[in-house]
Amino acid sequence: MTEGNTPVVEGEDALTRLEQEGEIAADYLEGLLDIADLDGDIDMDVEGDRAAVSIVGDSGRDLQKLVGRDGEVLEALQELTRLAVHRETGDRSRLMLDIGGFRARKRAELTELGTKAAQDAKTSGEPVKLRPMTPFERKVVHDAVAAAGLRSESEGEEPQRRVVVLPA
Amino acid sequence: MLDEALEHLVKGIVDNPDDVHVAERTLRRGRVLEVRVHPDDLGKVIGRNGRTARALRTVVGALGGRGIRVDLVDVDQVR
Repeated sequence: MTEGNTPVVEGEDALTRLEQEGEIAADYLEGLLDIADLDGDIDMDVEGDRAAVSIVGDSGRDLQKLVGRDGEVLEALQELTRLAVHRETGDRSRLMLDIGGFRARKRAELTELGTKAAQDAKTSGEPVKLRPMTPFERKVVHDAVAAAGLRSESEGEEPQRRVVVLPA
Repeated sequence: MLDEALEHLVKGIVDNPDDVHVAERTLRRGRVLEVRVHPDDLGKVIGRNGRTARALRTVVGALGGRGIRVDLVDVDQVR
């Protein structure tokens, strides 16, 4: 658990609540893996103010099936898992699901992209426009740009909304 | 397996899991998984703008049910 890096969680109660969310989610997903005869273990964690649940394992093909093209199946499973948690707790869940490291890899790629765009903006003195992205992707890029010491904003309407990195 | 997986996914999100029944039927146009739920739960399995129904279909498709129709009906509905 990443203590000291979880400022948003207020006290024991919130932490216990998020851990409970993780357990409900794990039961729901484990049941699915059993029925579908897919290999995978479930990891639970709390990241910031969210429960984080990952399906991990060495059978890449099985897990890839549950990620789908562009994470489409992963998003669907996350949606259903949040509903399963909501049914048990009565509270809306913001739980994050990852499968086979898909989100972790995506986050690393986007962080690199954001860092590089910040360098380009610094060098050229011109704003750098990136391709349209989902809200999750834009958040990762904004964070990377901020870490590089520049500002960025989003422009356009979904699903064409994109990050623009501003030169200093 | 698909019917069992779908039943598990639906039972986990409704208030009346005992009223969830999944039946597989073969129609002229192909295979159909028919999900029956308590009338109070129908809105829940369909979701806002059909979001939940779409998520259920996406997962069923990924588990090998590509091309299989998923129908959501409530138990009071007469065929």
